[in-house]
Amino acid sequence: MRLSYIYSMKKVLIAIVLLITARAASAQKELLPFDEHNKYIYYQVVDQPTLTADTMYNRALYFLKTAYPKLKVKTDKTNESISGAGKFVVTSTMLLKHEDGEISFTYTIESKEHKYRFWLTDFTFTPYKTDRYGKSVPADGIEIPLEKGTTKLTKKQVDNYLDQAGTYSKQFGDRLKQYMVRLSVTPVKETKTKVISTKNW
Amino acid sequence: MKKKLLLLVLAVSAFSFASKAQDTIKTTGDAPLVVYGSVDTYWKYDFSKHANIGTYFASDNNSVSLGMIDLGLKKKVGKASFVGELAFGPRGQYQSTPNGDGNALNANNTFNIQNLYVSFDVTDKFNLTAGYMATFVGYEVISPTGNFNYSTSYLFGAGPFQNAGFKATYAFSDKVSLMAGIFNDQWNSYAAVTQSYTDAGGTVHQNGEVSTFGAQLMVAPVKGWTAYINFMSGKYSGTIEDLTTTYQITDAFKLGLNAANKTGAGAADYVGAALYPQLAVSKVVTLGIRGESFKLKSTPTAASTTYSAFTLTANIKSGPLTFIPEIRFDHNKDMPFTDSSFSPTKTASQFVLAAVYGF
Repeated sequence: MRLSYIYSMKKVLIAIVLLITARAASAQKELLPFDEHNKYIYYQVVDQPTLTADTMYNRALYFLKTAYPKLKVKTDKTNESISGAGKFVVTSTMLLKHEDGEISFTYTIESKEHKYRFWLTDFTFTPYKTDRYGKSVPADGIEIPLEKGTTKLTKKQVDNYLDQAGTYSKQFGDRLKQYMVRLSVTPVKETKTKVISTKNW
Repeated sequence: MKKKLLLLVLAVSAFSFASKAQDTIKTTGDAPLVVYGSVDTYWKYDFSKHANIGTYFASDNNSVSLGMIDLGLKKKVGKASFVGELAFGPRGQYQSTPNGDGNALNANNTFNIQNLYVSFDVTDKFNLTAGYMATFVGYEVISPTGNFNYSTSYLFGAGPFQNAGFKATYAFSDKVSLMAGIFNDQWNSYAAVTQSYTDAGGTVHQNGEVSTFGAQLMVAPVKGWTAYINFMSGKYSGTIEDLTTTYQITDAFKLGLNAANKTGAGAADYVGAALYPQLAVSKVVTLGIRGESFKLKSTPTAASTTYSAFTLTANIKSGPLTFIPEIRFDHNKDMPFTDSSFSPTKTASQFVLAAVYGF
């Protein structure tokens, strides 16, 4: 009786371990293949049959200004391409999430008649250190391209940061798509909270 | 029991997939409450067979001794943030923080506080901060995760550890910022405590002034090079001019420099400089040297005296854990050290092995 109980317990524990392992393996880093320059890239081409190049260009500008106001934005003279740079914070996978550093990247958004494309690349990790005031600040002068990450970081760290870079890039693309397809991209006004009057009944 | 465990598996499963659905990186909104800090311990062997070098921390000879457990909490909501950092252990208590608030009745009532301040971003470039903060002066810090060497320089020990006050910082760009602030009359004190008087009942009362001016100009002339030009002056705490700079010259080589001059009231006057070259020789090992020259200036009762110190340190990292083996040689022609038979000598040397875990 006791042996069969232990056996059942073992199966249950194995199931928990497998479940957790499966979750860890469902990583977003697969979203970042290498480009022709051997750099990680998040690249998407999206058809928008009803939209003109100008409309998409303007909506992309509005998207950057509204959804990612801290990104640097550079436009070209032909009104077809927007590029720039940004960064986001990456955390460790420990129980208490620790700000490990930040990843800087460059992005490009290009529009043509009825389609647009965008990509994020040049992912570069800068570790954080805790300064004398307890603030997490970038370590001066240390920049580690994720392609060469394993020369300075552990494989586990690199996988974690690639995962977070993939998640960030996907989120960037999903939000861009939302701004592109909306006819009106102004934020929806919150409906006024209904007030119940107890005076009249 | 088995059913309960199976329910647990289902619950974990549901949680797992629910979490995945929200598996996004926050780009806006408020940061969570962050817990950070460090734990450190060390063994030191002084070649004179007794503790001989009077700089801070790593004080016990031939003993596996405590540094401290440092526990910080921080959070930012919108434009407002706070930091509260407590330390327990010799390094974090009597070696680096004051007892009580300066009132005799609180003499043994340690607050354990390293940092306690609130901060407000008036704009993206302009910040106001008030509270009890680590000093802005100097290269080395109290937290072992903030230093490369485990033992400290003479410059570190002679200068301030903390300053309580109010400061405003304006960032002109990523490359230039200026801080100016008004701080309490004394360094390393939870309250301004310069003056005291005794009432008719014999009770001593402390009064103070917020009368020390401090400023810091930060410049980052080229990528990887940051310099802080610091100035602090007060009627009761004297004047310090300080330069602290680091330059990550290549991926592997970093050079740091600290130079300072203290004059006037308060702590002993000094002048000195320390150079910190460091070379990463592998992914986990970095070697560094600290070379320092430090002069305690003459006083009406004592002549000036000059120390030189040479410290060779390795940082061996394994994730958040850093092993720090270190050997140090100090020299002073005025023979402030003692040899193994306690006779005065010009030189002192020690070996330290420390372990520091940062989180």
